[in-house]
Amino acid sequence: MAFRWIEHTGELELELDADTERGIFEAGFWAMRELMSSNESPERIEAPVALTGEDRAVLLADWLGELAFLGETRGLVPDRLASFELTDEGLTAVVAGSSGDPPHLVKGVTYHGLRFARTEAGWLARVVLDV
Amino acid sequence: MSELRRVGEVVWELPATGSMRVPGRVFADADLLEAIERDESLDQLRNVATLPGVVDAVLAMPDVHQGYGFPVGGVAATALPDGVVSPGGVGFDVNCGVRLLAAPFSAGELGGRREALVHEISRAVPAGTGRGSGLSMTKAQLDRVLADGPRALEGIGTPQDVELTESGGRLDGADPAAVSARARERGADQLGTLGSGNHFVEVQRVEEVQERGAAEALGLSEDQVTVLIHSGSRGLGHQVCTDFVKRFDAAVGRFGIRLPDRQLSCAPASSEEGRSYLAAMAAAANFAWANRHLIAHRVREATARALDEESAAGTRQVYDVAHNVAKLERHGNRELCVHRKGATRAFPPGSEEIPARYRDIGQPVFIPGSMGTASYVLAGRPGAMEHSFGTVCHGAGRRLSRTAARKQVQGAELRRRLEDEGITVRSASNRGLAEEAPLAYKEVEKVVEVVERAGLAVRVARLRPIGVVKG
Repeated sequence: MAFRWIEHTGELELELDADTERGIFEAGFWAMRELMSSNESPERIEAPVALTGEDRAVLLADWLGELAFLGETRGLVPDRLASFELTDEGLTAVVAGSSGDPPHLVKGVTYHGLRFARTEAGWLARVVLDV
Repeated sequence: MSELRRVGEVVWELPATGSMRVPGRVFADADLLEAIERDESLDQLRNVATLPGVVDAVLAMPDVHQGYGFPVGGVAATALPDGVVSPGGVGFDVNCGVRLLAAPFSAGELGGRREALVHEISRAVPAGTGRGSGLSMTKAQLDRVLADGPRALEGIGTPQDVELTESGGRLDGADPAAVSARARERGADQLGTLGSGNHFVEVQRVEEVQERGAAEALGLSEDQVTVLIHSGSRGLGHQVCTDFVKRFDAAVGRFGIRLPDRQLSCAPASSEEGRSYLAAMAAAANFAWANRHLIAHRVREATARALDEESAAGTRQVYDVAHNVAKLERHGNRELCVHRKGATRAFPPGSEEIPARYRDIGQPVFIPGSMGTASYVLAGRPGAMEHSFGTVCHGAGRRLSRTAARKQVQGAELRRRLEDEGITVRSASNRGLAEEAPLAYKEVEKVVEVVERAGLAVRVARLRPIGVVKG
């Protein structure tokens, strides 16, 4: 499971790879964690997440968007997935982290070049974030 | 060399091939064209040309660079009622735009109080990537802002500020009910805040007047201090775009629309989905105008603290323009939905859309340069209606990615360099400063020169920064 930032003139392009579909979502979590790190307080918070959708690429975009939303509106700096379940119909998770003032770097998760595909080595996803 | 064909001194045509419904046209000189061909701008322009209902040609302004779906600096008009509207053709930051204020004093008169002024502005205008600190509003108050824009902010600014705002600071058809609860939550405490990325408040001096008559009409003279505000609709607008890209993505099949890029998701403007987006987008645009209105008010408050009440009261709004928006406009005998993504409306003299006091000079347009370089005041010319749906560029246009910019310059070093050049800098983050370094952008002089050579607008004044508060 890994994430990489790809050069993009105006925005941020993210590539994720993992052995499993679930691993792609976890890699996305860690990529967002990197973008949202900030001066955190000792106060711990958790937020439940429930997303529906059968299209894995759109579900990934929603997942990354949800993490950005929690940072922007709740000040949640994520550092741990307290739980995560991926089903054919969507995902449920509990995102844990500290209370802080994370950068609102990600304005939106685009569908430009959005990809979520099986490869010989496992799974690969690509997504462009508007920053 | 691509298949671009030169059709004018600074105009290049991308022939309609494959599923393109119209050709593409690129406004550029040879140097800018070379940069444009290095990224995906032209591929994205080709994709835009496949949108149902698109007319005449899709356009790339000289500051174009690759974006997502539409290139940034892209323009496309679709014929109403059934041509499509695409949220990706507006972008996430609905009605990102710029507002210019003119101070009643010169840079010479400001003198050593420059640093105090920039400092007070940085204290007054919440900036950066953190949470809101903006105006707290009840749901009813937010509804009024979404419906009426700056007019809803009683006691803030002046009626003249509203009059001297594109579209009077209010897009018709705005429906607060079309804005989701999630979008409202994101924007709830962000009114009057700058945001991050390339957003800024810049204190400038008029370095050169280039078109005296127009400058006089705008109340600009050499060495005068001006303040340029660049911000948009913050999280509220971003969420409106997110909501409708997803909704349209799910609906395109029902409309029989096939797209080369999912970010171009769209719906006929006359459909329920299309009308709902236009109503939500208009509400977000009104929020953005109110946002810049409140920021301008805070700049005046900062001026009063740093200087005096008289200086604050005499700080006039020159104009305010949007550069991420879709507008329903009549062009000739056609009703069009004109998408301008990173592009500015620039109607020529005589247009009824221009405030009466500026009608003889053409719509004022502000083109921010990169941080530390000049910005320009332009005025629309008849060529814009003939060649670009009344549109010009919106800035210098990115040349380097943010990562590449950070590799080439350290934020702290850039800050020192700008200070050495007489530019006071206030920025929450050295990283953000480096990402917006001048080397990351094209030369704004070349961009505006192309616009002028193409007959789209004329240069009125060049503004040189003396202080910058970066988001």
